[in-house]
Amino acid sequence: MSDIEIIEIEPTDGQDPDTGFADTLLPRNDVAVHAQQLTKRYGGLVAVNQLDLVVPKGSVFGLIGPNGAGKSTTFAMMASLLRPTTGRITVMGADPSKKPRTVRRRMGYMPDNLGVYDNLRVDEYLEFFAASYGIHRSEWPTLVDGLLELVDLGVKRTAMVNSLSRGMKQRLSLARALVHDPELLILDEPASGLDPRARVELRELLRSLNAMGKTIVISSHILAELEEMCTDIAIMEAGKLLASGPPRQILSQLGGARTIRVRFADHSTETFTVHDDAGQTGLLRRLLVDDGREVVEFVEESGGLEQLFMTITEGVVQ
Amino acid sequence: MMNPVLSRELRERMRTGRAFVVIGVFLAMLILTVYLVYQGTTSTGQIDLDLSRQTRMGRDIFEYVLLVMLLLVLFFVPGLTAGAIAGERERQTLLPLQVTLLRPRSILVGKVLAGMSFLVLLLVASLPVMMVAYLLGGIRVIDGAKGLGIICVVAFLLTTMIASLSTITKRVQTATLLSYGFTALLVLVGPLLYLTLAIADGSKGTDARNPPAVLVAVNPISIVADATAGEVVTDGGNPLREVRKFIVESKSRNADSWFAWFPEDDFGAQFRIVNGRTGLPAWAVGTAAWFALAAAMSTLAVRRLRTPAETER
Repeated sequence: MSDIEIIEIEPTDGQDPDTGFADTLLPRNDVAVHAQQLTKRYGGLVAVNQLDLVVPKGSVFGLIGPNGAGKSTTFAMMASLLRPTTGRITVMGADPSKKPRTVRRRMGYMPDNLGVYDNLRVDEYLEFFAASYGIHRSEWPTLVDGLLELVDLGVKRTAMVNSLSRGMKQRLSLARALVHDPELLILDEPASGLDPRARVELRELLRSLNAMGKTIVISSHILAELEEMCTDIAIMEAGKLLASGPPRQILSQLGGARTIRVRFADHSTETFTVHDDAGQTGLLRRLLVDDGREVVEFVEESGGLEQLFMTITEGVVQ
Repeated sequence: MMNPVLSRELRERMRTGRAFVVIGVFLAMLILTVYLVYQGTTSTGQIDLDLSRQTRMGRDIFEYVLLVMLLLVLFFVPGLTAGAIAGERERQTLLPLQVTLLRPRSILVGKVLAGMSFLVLLLVASLPVMMVAYLLGGIRVIDGAKGLGIICVVAFLLTTMIASLSTITKRVQTATLLSYGFTALLVLVGPLLYLTLAIADGSKGTDARNPPAVLVAVNPISIVADATAGEVVTDGGNPLREVRKFIVESKSRNADSWFAWFPEDDFGAQFRIVNGRTGLPAWAVGTAAWFALAAAMSTLAVRRLRTPAETER
């Protein structure tokens, strides 16, 4: 028998009999984070408003939204730091409000603020967090070596944390979130304040981690970066979820226009507008088969996610 | 495994020059105290060969050193501990700590023990200064142990209270101000209330100026004075002796209260002290009150550190 557990769906109304929330159609073992009608209120302010979200395991999931959209609050609820006002969230199958330690064992969290202990050495910093996760002292040297190699800070092993650049501190924070080898990484604005080189290095690092089988939930203001990296995205504004799914799927659903730049063998370049993947295939067929033109380059202009973001959001600030 | 917060705090603390400055100031103040008491009690500056005067000087030096030690503890604890949790918040290191498997209680205990370890280091470093009094005579090893012991207890309870207080602020500066205010209140509230009630009693035109003596007991100087009382407590001469005299007098004015009263049976007799200090010892009452306050504050602090929380703290 398969060890995959399928969430039972009530045949009548498709709701969880205990909570009344609609269940996901994904097998439970394939879901890293599942939020249902998740709401967080601070007095009169609704920071997160009835958010429904499914983060598939093994995905790189980008949470996008303007400042004040509720991304960090959503992350804090995922990371077992904040209790939802109403609604439900499960992280790696456990409810962070009821079983925070179960969630913490399987999740690594990197908040948007870069807080590090300046009077510690890099290796001492990681050892401290290893101890805080209950990892035995005998495992520390191997663990620290491995983590520093992964984040490319091996040469800084005995350097004081306060001597590191911002990019290095960011990588050290990522190593800290990885200290207990979590399956899920929640990264709140990990690229903020980094120079272009450090951003590229961080992106490569996250790709490697994803290739190692880790699910990554990430927020960033640099949409082009998320576009390259994310398998799934969710767009939030004013606490509400506006769209969620693979970027191309969202684009198709919204019927957003895509700009295709085509360069021909005669060195001429033309741009075309299509609305979906089918339109893109049709255009290529028309150029090659119907018109018989020699195409040397067929590129979708970047800015798709940015365009999508601008199309969907209205700049509402709470 | 050693508490991770404790080991990290000790490592960080001893790496900064601040720790050595504090140790230096602490010892300098104690040495200065010994010097001033010595100069003040000998007219010639020579060692007095009269044994009774010499032992009296040894006792004076011991008691002045204890008092200064206590005042330094009351001064340093808020400064050294106020940033325990507020500092983690200010440098934004609390959230990463809260998502580890460390329990809120472990975080607070680590902070308190780190503060306490440093204070114990200060007290151990001051032992050679204490030895001067011991060499002059008038005190026994047990007196020294009792003195350091009660200061350790006061320091531990105050550290617990200040570390707990540190959970309610987000900035170290605010926490420091709050901690000094709280310590001042802790030191002054008992005597001020006692004085106010005494004045109120006096204004009634009666001679019975007998506010509850327990108000005197919650003062840390009273706790140390009472716990380190020698054979004769009513002898005046130095501040701790004056405090002891005051405690005995205030208790005698409250002879029928639970604080002063003690049953005159065999069981009670075991607790009676030959010098006439009947009733519950002031140091025990004061320490119990401090312990209750520290326990209540630390319980609330652990609740504040607990996650998931209703609001971001």
